[in-house]
Order: sequence, then structure tokens, then C-alpha cells
Amino acid sequence: MSGLRVLIVDDSSVMRKIVDRSLRQAGLELTEVLEASNGVEALARMRESRVDLILSDINMPSMDGLELVRQLQAIDNAKGVPIVMITTEAGESHVVQALSSGARGYIRKPFSPDQIKERIIPLLGGSNGA
Amino acid sequence: MEPDRRREASRQVHLILSAKSSGRPGMTSRLAGLPPEEIRQKLTAVIESAAREIFEVMVGTPLGPAEEATLPRVADYTSMIGLAGDLCGVMSFRCSSNTASQIAALMLSSEDRVPEDCIRDALGEICNMIAGSFKAQVMGLADQCMLSVPMVVSGKDYQLYPLADGVRIQISPSFEGALVWITLDLHS
Repeated sequence: MSGLRVLIVDDSSVMRKIVDRSLRQAGLELTEVLEASNGVEALARMRESRVDLILSDINMPSMDGLELVRQLQAIDNAKGVPIVMITTEAGESHVVQALSSGARGYIRKPFSPDQIKERIIPLLGGSNGA
Repeated sequence: MEPDRRREASRQVHLILSAKSSGRPGMTSRLAGLPPEEIRQKLTAVIESAAREIFEVMVGTPLGPAEEATLPRVADYTSMIGLAGDLCGVMSFRCSSNTASQIAALMLSSEDRVPEDCIRDALGEICNMIAGSFKAQVMGLADQCMLSVPMVVSGKDYQLYPLADGVRIQISPSFEGALVWITLDLHS
């Protein structure tokens, strides 16, 4: 799967790099990776840019990932873009909240490249080979 | 106080940690009815399992066996995260400067020296993920316990005073031959 533009949202720069690396290890060819450290920054990025996939943490300062997902619905550039939450929060209520807010997938930290492949590639219209 | 001691004391940083919540009384979901020693044993096993999972998957290097070890007076790095809700307290991860650099370099797959801000960031994420995995493994806790944003303290001269008045659970596994300390201080 090639030529993808991705937005990674996490308040940890280390985690943003790990997500980036895991996407590449999962076989995705990324042409551009945008980064944001919270929901406010992510909204600003999305007003200016178009991406094929958004990956977001939930617990972040300024604006958390759940609020980000809700507010993305009002941004034209985000319409139809799959949003996947990557978070330490594993509770059923968090999953339900995320999916009902508009997220298309949910990955719990810690995660492996295989889990990324399994959850994300189908959202991009591909087969994960499973 | 002698002048030298006074100067030394004035340079020390004292951090007082507390995590309290307005969570429902009666605490801890499925744990409330168990004897304290059984709670301690169960939570110790869960912390160890959570830490091992994080190091295997996210650091790529497994932790060695856990040892009986006392906390160092000062660890070069301490990352902490608050838990509030059914379980209330502070989880912390302590390690030496050398170990912190190794962990960050492995997480970033970097062969170069990792900048200080990335080391702090990596240790905050380690503590965050251990706490997240811990609460996911305790039945009934995942939805009933909130995590704070992690905080990291580094230096050679600081004291931590957790105000938690309940049990302290601690494991000291090894990482690449050096001890790391993972502690959960619980409010009663």
C-alpha cells in the first residue's frame, strides 16, 4: 500500500516516532507524515492539509482524542478519512465512546506492527493478508 | 542547622505526590472483599505482567527476573502517573541514567545518543503504558480508573513523598543487568 499521507497525534514525540515506524514495518509506504501533539494542533493541521489516515492518542493535554474525533466531523478535509485511536485506555466505555464519536478503529498500547497491519490496512481498502 | 547542611537542604527538591479522587466509595471493583495480603499478591503479579508486556513489545528487550530490592534513595529518573477512581494512588518507574538512555534508544531504534527530552518522554510513556496495561488486566478496573498525564523527574538530589496511605507494591526486575523499580502506592 503506497503513497499514503498520515497524521499522527500523540503528546509523546517518542510514541509518534514508534507509530510512524510501526506503520512502515506493517508494509505501508508513507509519502508524508504530519504530526501533532494534541487535538488543537491536529485540527489546525487538518484545516490546511488532506491525509489518508489519522491515528490519535486519547489522553492528551489541551484537547483529548475523543474531542478531536468529534470536532474533525466539521472539517471538510477530514470527511471520509479513517480515524484510529491508539491508546493505553482499554476500557469498553472508551472504545464505545471512540467508535460512537466517529473513530473507525481502536488499538491498545502496547501494539505490534502486526496489529497495526491487521487493524489499519482493511480501513484503507486493502487486504491485511490474514 | 550547620551552614553546609542548610545549603544542601536548600538545593534539594521535595516532591509530594498525591492522587485523590471523588470516585465511588467502596473502592476497587473485584478486589474490595479480598484480604490485604491477597490483594498485594494479585496486584504484584499484575504489575509484573504489565511491565514485562511493555518491555517485550515496545522496548524489544525483555525484563530479567524480579528481585527483592529496596528503593534507591535517589534514582536518576523517576516517571510517575496518577490513578484515580476505584483504585487511587501513584504508579512510578525508577531507573538509572544509563538505563534510561538505553530504554529510550531501544524504543526509538536509535544508535546515536538520545536527547534528554526524548529520554524523559520515553520514560513517561513507559510508566503510562505499564499503568494502562495494569488496569486493563485487573478485572473491572479498565473503565473505573482514570490515568493522569505522566510526569518525569530527573536529577541527583530530590526526595519523593507519596501521600498514599495504603499499601506499597513494588517490583524490581532487571533490565540489561541493571535494576529498575516499579512501584504502586495506593490510597487506602
